[in-house]
Amino acid sequence: MATIPELRRYLGDLSAILWNFGAVFPTPTLDPYDDGSYGFAFSALLPGSAAPKPASIKMMETWEPAQAGRYTRVEYGYDFVEYPLDRRRAFHRHDEEYFLREFGVTVHEHCEEVLGQPDCDHYMGLPIDGYEAIRRFTILWGQAKPLGCAALRCME
Amino acid sequence: MQKKPFLTPADIALELDISTSTVLRKIHAGEIPAIVVSDRIYRIPAASFELYKAGRLKSAQPAPLGQPRPRPRIGEGEGKPVAAGAAPLRRA
Repeated sequence: MATIPELRRYLGDLSAILWNFGAVFPTPTLDPYDDGSYGFAFSALLPGSAAPKPASIKMMETWEPAQAGRYTRVEYGYDFVEYPLDRRRAFHRHDEEYFLREFGVTVHEHCEEVLGQPDCDHYMGLPIDGYEAIRRFTILWGQAKPLGCAALRCME
Repeated sequence: MQKKPFLTPADIALELDISTSTVLRKIHAGEIPAIVVSDRIYRIPAASFELYKAGRLKSAQPAPLGQPRPRPRIGEGEGKPVAAGAAPLRRA
């Protein structure tokens, strides 16, 4: 759980990490949402090849009030689309009720060795945070070896 | 010659005329941004090194608060998986 000042520092940290890797994006804001939750959503373009488009990292999180000025992360979407290498990796937490009911899990992953042609639409995963998402994406970034989707466990 | 998109600590050491262990100390101290591939493998994006040399690395600042807005739907448009044996719902 985190307070609003802690969430502002967390988002500032994530932004600085990406900026210092040369990513380009406007300063993201921590936004109050109309249902009392807070969150952020931004896309960062990574340096390197821009053909057909630069690689991008999209970061989204939603935090709901939990107790006495503290908020808890209830949803996230971390997406890495590496257009120059035509592939995608993502970590998601959303539609939690559905995934808990059907699969007994709160999160899932996406992995496409060829963009738009996944062998499986949803993979099992473990919860992560924004730091870990950036760490995992940047390890993959610009490396020609496979993402490793075949080693993941398909939900379907 | 095309510039390498990623550098090793040894590349940085050569360019700065310092030892590789000094580069690693700078990485561990957070002075030079690096991708930690494993305990022993570090990769420095060329863009990060350019920012470092230019003294343009950013320090983290608390993000500003934005204006109230509708809550975005994370995962919107994404199909849901169907458990084995269940009737299909919808696919992406």
